[in-house]
Amino acid sequence: MGIWQQAILSGLSLGSFYTLLGLGFSLIFGVTRAFNLAHGDFILLAGYLAFALWHFWHLPFSWILILCMVSLPVAMLALRELLHRLPEPFELNSLVVTFGLAIVLQNLFLGLFSADYRLLLLPTTVVLDLPACSLMMTANQAMLLLGSLAATAAVYLFLYRTFAGKALRATIQNREGAALAGIRVDQMQLLAFGLGGVLIGLAGPLMAVNMYLHPAGGLEPTLIAIILTIAAGVGRTGSLLWVGWLLGAAESLTALAVGSSWRELVSALVLLLILVGRPQAGAKHDIAS
Amino acid sequence: MHPLRELIIRIFPTYKREGAGLAHGRRFFSLPSAFFSVPLFLALILVCVWTGLAFAAGEAIRLGEVNPLTGNLALHGLEIHQGIEAAVAEANAQGGIGGRPLVLLSRDDQSRPDVALNQTQDLLYREKVVGLLGGYVDSLVGPISSLAARQQTPYVAAASLQQSLTAQKNPFFFRVSSMAGIVQPLSRFLSDVVKPQTVAILYTATPGSTEFAASVRDLLIQQGIRVLVFEKFRPGTPDFSMLLLKVREAKAEVLISGGFFPDNLLLVRQLREQQVPLQAFVAPWGVAYEKFLRELRQNSEGLLGMCAWNPGITYPGTEAASEAFVQAFQARYGHLPNSTTMHGYAAAKAMLAAISAVVEQGQPLSGPAIAQELRRIDLLLPMGRLRFSEYGDPLEYQQVIVQIQNGVLQVVYPPEQATGRLIYPLPHSGQE
Repeated sequence: MGIWQQAILSGLSLGSFYTLLGLGFSLIFGVTRAFNLAHGDFILLAGYLAFALWHFWHLPFSWILILCMVSLPVAMLALRELLHRLPEPFELNSLVVTFGLAIVLQNLFLGLFSADYRLLLLPTTVVLDLPACSLMMTANQAMLLLGSLAATAAVYLFLYRTFAGKALRATIQNREGAALAGIRVDQMQLLAFGLGGVLIGLAGPLMAVNMYLHPAGGLEPTLIAIILTIAAGVGRTGSLLWVGWLLGAAESLTALAVGSSWRELVSALVLLLILVGRPQAGAKHDIAS
Repeated sequence: MHPLRELIIRIFPTYKREGAGLAHGRRFFSLPSAFFSVPLFLALILVCVWTGLAFAAGEAIRLGEVNPLTGNLALHGLEIHQGIEAAVAEANAQGGIGGRPLVLLSRDDQSRPDVALNQTQDLLYREKVVGLLGGYVDSLVGPISSLAARQQTPYVAAASLQQSLTAQKNPFFFRVSSMAGIVQPLSRFLSDVVKPQTVAILYTATPGSTEFAASVRDLLIQQGIRVLVFEKFRPGTPDFSMLLLKVREAKAEVLISGGFFPDNLLLVRQLREQQVPLQAFVAPWGVAYEKFLRELRQNSEGLLGMCAWNPGITYPGTEAASEAFVQAFQARYGHLPNSTTMHGYAAAKAMLAAISAVVEQGQPLSGPAIAQELRRIDLLLPMGRLRFSEYGDPLEYQQVIVQIQNGVLQVVYPPEQATGRLIYPLPHSGQE
């Protein structure tokens, strides 16, 4: 029985991180309709920044997290300026520009950090060890789970408890309606990119301490973010977390029950079931806008 | 007057005298002008032939190389590329082959088989290379070898293992590595030295790794060793915790990983974090690298890897050549070569030796002639003796087992090449 509990715990940890990957993408896409294909590469940018701060300046990880969460919004606001200048059709042009940007970033990583795989190693301890029920959690896993959950909760509270957050949600639901109600849509865009940047700034270092960094490693986080946003619905923080957990748990349980090679297939089936079972997830947004 | 007309008149003065020449039905040449023009024309032909021959003598020999220089396999693709480049530079520094310089045309397959195919087509049909080099993993090597065979161009792959590739009896395909050279020493090491009761095998869903895992499993079962976990995973899997949970629950003594460099990096990281109680961890790919030690630091202590060569680990009798290669490589690239680099170097050396033999015999540089010479070569390289079977497998390829001890790779098997004693069981250490 314990082995299954461990699988669920690992799945929740992984799913929470998936949610974090999708949250920034979802916010930016919701407000601007910009399909950011360089999303994963910006996460890698944060990861490489964290790696550089750790490797060259030997900063403590808490400082690294703060610095990345402060720096990445700047990069995202620069992206917003770039996208702001795009002519119509905006959606298509944003796809092309961010695809090009992803290639530029990959080459930048290749030039600065070479094609080597990089690890950010932290002293790790087991923070939860219950041998009786085969449950164990390392500090890195706990950081991944708690960091992702805290960020998701903070975004949720911001969107549902603050005026700025409600304005942001209104903009996501109906841009023209929000503008008519006196909401400054351009400021909401800045807010979405800034908030997205903070989330990316958190995801990058967490990725670096739990996985590895590689110049071509941005594609997978981008795909996860897109899949989660489509499955959960744009700007739906709660749904995003549920879908992330479902996906993480499905992957872990599949790997345990039938083998690791089946996890992608089962994940794809789970996502299809979510889309079929909850057609309003995508449609509601379209009707509203 | 039109400049062209003026030029024609200068060359053929009769043209002016005769007016509009043939267009008006008159004679273009007069006898005196032909008296001077014909020898001039013949002299021109002679000059052209002479310069053509001279040009042909110094004409560059074009070699093609397809490697994953970007994408997921870029790390090893670049290493192979540098090995090939080093061998070609070495040959050019010695005056080329038969006085002809060598030109290496490098192409990036982006770690994708479809791109590998396109780039090979470009090298074969447009660039008309005389031979092909490079390739990492069989999913990239396979398509290149088929295309090279169709074009009758020899291809020496730097890193290929899948047995079906040479079983196809493609007379233009050669490779410097083989599955037997990895599986046999590993199985002997486990059954003769480590002697575990139980093992777990994790491998990637690639043709070479799958074949490796199945071969090792069969040999170990024959030796009476139980294989408790036998699972494949996708290359680049971001989370091994479930697989490691299975290994932990099965209580396997030894974990054999058929993963590549990044897979092993993550696997070992999570293995150490989750404190999986293993007696030994062994992986033929990815561990015996300076970069692996650098990234994992003391977490790499005690891990077992395999290699055909490394700086300081060379085939007996090739110490001087090995050292010269390391020196030249470091001077050129500013870092040390590794086993993968040496595979690229060995592949290029084989191709160059065959081309050299064809040139020395005065034969034209055709694909069949080079392939025939490749079948005849017998080279002593730092990686070992290199001879090919009729269908391109290396006959002498054997890897050694190395263990990371105090941040240094020590050969622990076979005994005749050992530089250190095996530390067993695996020392456990937490991360930094």
